[in-house]
Amino acid sequence: MAELTCDSIDNTVLDTLQPPSRFYWLLIAFLFMGVLLGAGCWLYQIVTGIGVGGQNNPVHWGIYLVNFVFWVGIAHSGTLISAILHLFRAGWRNPIARAAETMTIFAVCVAGLFPFIHLGRVWVVFYMLPIPTQRTLWPNFTSPLMFDVVAISTYLMVSAAFWYTGMLPDLATVRDRASGTRKKIFQVLSLGWTGTHEQWRHYARGYLFFASLATPLVISVHSVVSWDFALGVVPGWHTTIFAPYFVAGAIHSGLAMVLTLMIPLRKIFKYEAIITVSVLENVAKTIVFTGIIVGFAYGTELFIAWYSHNVVEMETFRWRIFGDYSLEYWIMVICNTLIPLLFLFQKIRTRIPWLFGLSLLINVGMWYERFVIIIGSVAHDFVPYTWGLYRPSLIELGIMFGSFCLFFFLFVLFVKHLPSVSMTEMKETLFAGDHHDQ
Amino acid sequence: MTNETISILGLFDSDDAAAVAIRNLKKSSWSVERVHSPVPSPKIMNALNVKKSRVGWFTLAGGILGFLAGFGLAVFSATRWNLIVGGKPVVAWVPFFIVGFEFTILFAVMGNIIGLLTLARLPQFRPPGPVDPGFSGARFGVIATCARSQETDLSHFFRDNGATVMTVEKPTG
Amino acid sequence: METRQPFHITTRFLIPIFLAFMLVGTVTFILQVSGDHPEKAWRTYLINFLMFSAMAQGGLLFSVVMNTVNARWSRPLNTVSESFAAFFPVSFLLFLILFLGSGHVFPWLHENLHGKEVWLNLPFLFVRNAAGMLVLYGIGLAYLYHSLWFKLSSDVTGRWFQDLLIRHWYRRRPDPEQYRRRMTIFGNLYILAFTLVLSLIGFDLVMSMDPHWYSTLFGAYTFVKAFYVGLGAVIILAAILHLNPQVAFALQPSQFHDIGKLFFAFCMLWGDFFYVQLVVIWYGNIPEETAYLIQRTMTPPWNILAWTVFLTGFIIPFLILINKTVKTMPKSMILICLTVMVAIWLEHMLLLGPVYAPHAARLPFQASDGLISMGFLGLMAVSITTFFNQFPELIQRKPAEVTG
Repeated sequence: MAELTCDSIDNTVLDTLQPPSRFYWLLIAFLFMGVLLGAGCWLYQIVTGIGVGGQNNPVHWGIYLVNFVFWVGIAHSGTLISAILHLFRAGWRNPIARAAETMTIFAVCVAGLFPFIHLGRVWVVFYMLPIPTQRTLWPNFTSPLMFDVVAISTYLMVSAAFWYTGMLPDLATVRDRASGTRKKIFQVLSLGWTGTHEQWRHYARGYLFFASLATPLVISVHSVVSWDFALGVVPGWHTTIFAPYFVAGAIHSGLAMVLTLMIPLRKIFKYEAIITVSVLENVAKTIVFTGIIVGFAYGTELFIAWYSHNVVEMETFRWRIFGDYSLEYWIMVICNTLIPLLFLFQKIRTRIPWLFGLSLLINVGMWYERFVIIIGSVAHDFVPYTWGLYRPSLIELGIMFGSFCLFFFLFVLFVKHLPSVSMTEMKETLFAGDHHDQ
Repeated sequence: MTNETISILGLFDSDDAAAVAIRNLKKSSWSVERVHSPVPSPKIMNALNVKKSRVGWFTLAGGILGFLAGFGLAVFSATRWNLIVGGKPVVAWVPFFIVGFEFTILFAVMGNIIGLLTLARLPQFRPPGPVDPGFSGARFGVIATCARSQETDLSHFFRDNGATVMTVEKPTG
Repeated sequence: METRQPFHITTRFLIPIFLAFMLVGTVTFILQVSGDHPEKAWRTYLINFLMFSAMAQGGLLFSVVMNTVNARWSRPLNTVSESFAAFFPVSFLLFLILFLGSGHVFPWLHENLHGKEVWLNLPFLFVRNAAGMLVLYGIGLAYLYHSLWFKLSSDVTGRWFQDLLIRHWYRRRPDPEQYRRRMTIFGNLYILAFTLVLSLIGFDLVMSMDPHWYSTLFGAYTFVKAFYVGLGAVIILAAILHLNPQVAFALQPSQFHDIGKLFFAFCMLWGDFFYVQLVVIWYGNIPEETAYLIQRTMTPPWNILAWTVFLTGFIIPFLILINKTVKTMPKSMILICLTVMVAIWLEHMLLLGPVYAPHAARLPFQASDGLISMGFLGLMAVSITTFFNQFPELIQRKPAEVTG
């Protein structure tokens, strides 16, 4: 590895903020078209009615909810990398922490849209706010859907604050290398940071608290998401393992998305010296670990369904494996638990094309996991009379496509306008080795 | 002479060198006014012998307030109608704990931010003194004050400790 | 010449004390088994078997995990952690003895299980659990074997086990690279086996005691609990060795702080897993799940025990361990970890107690519970002391050279 110096770090990162090429604007334009397509589909749904989706009786929750859970899951690894690994003092997190945190924020934003979309009459969303109105109705906080409102909005605010706080010293770096209006803008953005010892003294301590608070938060958020399902008595949903299982699955999918985003990023922006192969390798190893947890959960669910000798439970799981959605089930099992095991081989986890390809497959697998759980369970519950199937409509798929475009649109905007690697934390590694004490 | 003082800024390339200079300054008759650094450095903090930040108290206060607020909000809205829903008690500990928990984190983080901003005196758009663009790059700056008459002594001191002396700043006080 | 080694002096009078503990425990157990309520003796036996085995299994897991993530700060603690593997053979023997009382231990033997017999029958249960434990302990000891090679010097010490190993290695001339690699592989396998075998133990020896109740998280809950207890045991032993002036073993405050943080993290994780099961069952409120919970957390006499467990196992350690300084003080950590140990012991009682005393009007605690537990404590202490007696240099090395 070429020796990193403070200047080389600053230069590599600041080079990414140079005025972009024509290709960049083409990409932005393409993604924006995608966003417009999604928005158009949503508008059509608002005008025509929620019936344009494929939801039916008994499957009331279609891929809007699948996408909601998927994107919340993607959000999780950002906090894992920036907060939990910070607490564990794992030095390899530093090069990817910023990008992962940004991914978190955009993913939560995209996820947050789906309950609105699913609501149909989106303007009544304020019913969920605890505000005195002339209806004198108050939200019912025993409902898991209300936990969701509280948890997701908390998560969005906290991760945005965490992200911005972490970026303050870097914004000052950008300011000090800029001139004119740009300098003024970044002076305001960086709150006039000059790195005095008084600032650092409070900053380091505050950052540590941020990390310690974000860690239980991230676990609670996906637990709460899992309880949207687990607290109901639907077979396939109502099971105690759901909360930890969803948290592990969320981190699993989020780490895969980190690989999907980082690999092009380091190639395009020539970050090879900063985001080294060994950093990616460590992400891959962590994916093996989360994949095994997810696999353990799949196995436990099957075992307990069989052990319980409960007819309905047994039928639910038999149908999952062999029934109408068996293809989806097997995509989920293979992509989430078997494919990550390939990362056990050093030859695979050190080759960039493999890392990239497998990360895509894991993303697909995790999307299908949510599909199998959310749709598969209600489609086939207690009474055969109420069984039914679901297929997403074109409008739903259009909105989903739009959501992916929106996520990448925001991310691509970000990487050209703000430092996508934390220069400060990279420099900290240089000065302190990878041993830094708080 | 009057007791006019001036500030001198010494620039260092590493936190080790800066920390050594700070320790030596502390032994001398001059005083350290400020230290700028591009990264948080435990070495410099040890040399300065600063106290632990009190941000934590803001965080703690926020957390406690948040738990009460969240739990209180859930209890408040449940008791507006006092209806038993789904066979659960009106004021139910198990679910309200979750609301309380999320608010704890939210308010603790807000407290943390408020603490950080007030204690570190941010935003601070007017720099406290001479600043070098290197402070956000790779340079560590130590600013010391001395009486005007000792300007050369202090400059030499910095140079002996491996710094490039940059500025001699405005007379203060 | 032997007596000049300080550790030997300490163990001289320790071993008889621990043997006395064992004797007291055994005698109490035998008396109670031959008395009117043998099921009570077997219940206490089962709780202690689970508890002390978990300490040993979770204790070794610390070293394994630290090795897997390439942590450097924990090296002296790894030695302490590995000493718990000495209890593995004892634990397996205790498991075999458990089946002498199978008629009292497994209440479902006398019940109609409506098809569950396929899983819940004595031969199959015995075979799969014995096999699981053999695999877990085998991998654990293989890990220990490779780890010891890096730690022991090649001098002959006069301790027969160490000399046996050293002579063996002298003939073999192991390749460090290969041993390092094998250590990693056995470590990973141990983690895998730990999760699977402890889940199995949780399902078979705790959850199925009420054969109609099930919770999918119970397996994961069991191994998280075991690691929680294991970490507590490692901290206690490390602190005792640290405080003992006759032993050269000493730790930096930062090392106590780091393992304290890990213990704190598992305190929260255990609390989380406890709550996560509670919330799902409380909401679902379906008969096959909720009866178990109501009996244990809402109706007397067990609800008092449930609150005690929750307070002493989670709330109190959580509130205390938020503080950083406490984690660096060995004496207070011993106290906190002991509290947690007692809490988890009581938690086993909470889970298993109602099975053996379904209509108890008051909590079925007796003096014999304490005496039998003392016997188990003695067993564990003898195992660990013997381990350090055989490998005295493990704790006579100055930690400075191993912190790396």
